[in-house]
Amino acid sequence: MLGVMYALVAVGFTLFFGVLDVIHFSHGDIFMLGAFTGLTVLAGLRAAGVGGALLALPLTFAASILVTGAVGVLAERVCVKPLARASPLMTLLATLSLGLVIREAVLIFYPRGADPKPFPQLLPQGGVELGGVAIRYENLAILGIGLAAMVAVDRVIKSTKMGAAIRAVAQEPEAAQMMGVNLDRTVDATFFLGSGLAAVAGILSGLYYSEIHFIMGVTGGVIGFSAAAIGGLGNVYGAIVGGLLFGVLQTTAAALIPRGSEFRDVVAFAVVMLFLVFKPSGILGEKSVERV
Amino acid sequence: MSRDLAGVWLTEAAVFALVVAGILAERPWALGATGGALVVAGGLVRFVPRLGAALAGAFARRRAAALAGGAVLALALPLALRSSPYWTFVATLALLYVTTGQGLNFQIGTAGVINLAGAAFAGLGGYAVGLLTVAGGWPAWLAVLVGPWAAVLVGTILFVPILKTRGHYLALVTIAFVFIFNILVNNLEFTGGPQGIKNIPTLSLAGYAFTTPPALAGVELPAHANFYYAALVMAGLTTWVLRRLHDSWLGLALNTLRDDEIAARCCGVSVTRGKLLAFSIGNFFIGLGGAFYAVVVGFVSPPDFDFGYSLVMLSVIIIGGVDSIPGVVLGACLLVPLPERFRFLHEYRLLLYGVVIVVMLLYRPRGLWPARIRRYR
Repeated sequence: MLGVMYALVAVGFTLFFGVLDVIHFSHGDIFMLGAFTGLTVLAGLRAAGVGGALLALPLTFAASILVTGAVGVLAERVCVKPLARASPLMTLLATLSLGLVIREAVLIFYPRGADPKPFPQLLPQGGVELGGVAIRYENLAILGIGLAAMVAVDRVIKSTKMGAAIRAVAQEPEAAQMMGVNLDRTVDATFFLGSGLAAVAGILSGLYYSEIHFIMGVTGGVIGFSAAAIGGLGNVYGAIVGGLLFGVLQTTAAALIPRGSEFRDVVAFAVVMLFLVFKPSGILGEKSVERV
Repeated sequence: MSRDLAGVWLTEAAVFALVVAGILAERPWALGATGGALVVAGGLVRFVPRLGAALAGAFARRRAAALAGGAVLALALPLALRSSPYWTFVATLALLYVTTGQGLNFQIGTAGVINLAGAAFAGLGGYAVGLLTVAGGWPAWLAVLVGPWAAVLVGTILFVPILKTRGHYLALVTIAFVFIFNILVNNLEFTGGPQGIKNIPTLSLAGYAFTTPPALAGVELPAHANFYYAALVMAGLTTWVLRRLHDSWLGLALNTLRDDEIAARCCGVSVTRGKLLAFSIGNFFIGLGGAFYAVVVGFVSPPDFDFGYSLVMLSVIIIGGVDSIPGVVLGACLLVPLPERFRFLHEYRLLLYGVVIVVMLLYRPRGLWPARIRRYR
């Protein structure tokens, strides 16, 4: 469950890296923004009298993807693309600061933004027991939605014109432009796609923990980035594998080590570090080779 | 030549007076007036080419006098800030950021080793002091000298993944380290958990505790003045040492390493040695800043060293100018006091802080005091 969310965030990181060669560090806060947008939409729907989870949930996802995607594109226009040619340090700091701006904006402008917000439980409760393992319907639903989102992204990238453009730009921006790909539009589309995925992840995280908080983007972002790095930056499938792996790591650490739930992130990050020592460009490899 | 001297000292005195006035101004109009005067003065120097060139020439010809004048004014600052003692503390903090900033700049700016774990290394220094004094019973001054070595030691362990990874992966390794450090100190028993370590004894020399406010010829200085002077000495020494290192063959070798690792290797620069030296030296000074912080404030706790502070340290460098030693001093002296000054906006403080950094990076990416190209005679 956790792995699916991380994977969705990680796919964003890796997509952005693919087209612009930058790490978009405010992505974690975009993820948080997605959750808050979802909460707002849900509250609005409830006020409008749309009660049924079956109707409210798709609407929430759609609205949150749209809004968050738009914010993602805005962030890219303002802060990422103008600096894409600067040194990595500059983009790093710029996007980290942008994340700070988003975070503080939510803290200040969302009503009582400093408190954790309860997230309504919309998914079916209860569960079944299969061979001694308790399976909750809620978790199954989260898994299903997450997998559906991933399949959708896979379809978009593999078999639409925009997806082809994204892949072309990721390989070689200049050649892609010569072939008639509109670079700016492709980059915008990528950021929309990635941020929309983060919104899905944000809402799923709200549904899973039934609580969202304005600082959840910090760890969320770092974990998403770690997952993307484990999988190899620029590689979408690597990001998915990395996300799932990080989730498994955390859960195993929490289960096996005494007081594991406190130290689960320590273990997970330490494994990521060790991993990068032995495989500095991820499981499935980075998209480009270093040339002299 | 004496016109140069007068020009240098008058400029410094004017800037000093305006800054002090800006700090102490209480009414909004007074603050606005001093701020406006600073902006107008800056604009004059910037946009009246003859004035700017004359001043730059005067400062270049009279460097020793300019430095001496700056030192005198820095010494006089607590005296000028007597009516508002809190500001001496803020100035002390700014000097601590000068120390850590120089260390971090040596890593990032000079050697190109991206380190986003500045907060963790400062924390290692601070926690080392806390443990040595409270649990080990060491005198504070000894702990401050030994504490930074904790940062250096842990840094060498972390060095393996740092050497192996490049660019974004390197950034990730250091970010992961800050998180690991923070979770560990938050949950381990001997670091006091979320409470941190309290009651760290203060510095004292030959029975003279640094917390007693010093009196100078009958004029009592603010309570933090002793720490301010100690921090001034520390920041000055750090800046001097790192300036010498930056100008030495080592600094040059590290610069080539930063610009093109393969070319540097071809010219006989050892990548491992260079990076390890830069990383350890930088960590020492970052840890020193953290260690000193522990004795000034008297306690250390996890939130003092979280990822946000890594960002502040990094911003100090970027705002000042990457690889620019005077830039780091300027960056620290702007970034630490300014948010304090605008406390009345405190809700929007971090928001504005983020906006300012983004705008700076977009329009002035080389910093306010860009590094100059090396000159050789």
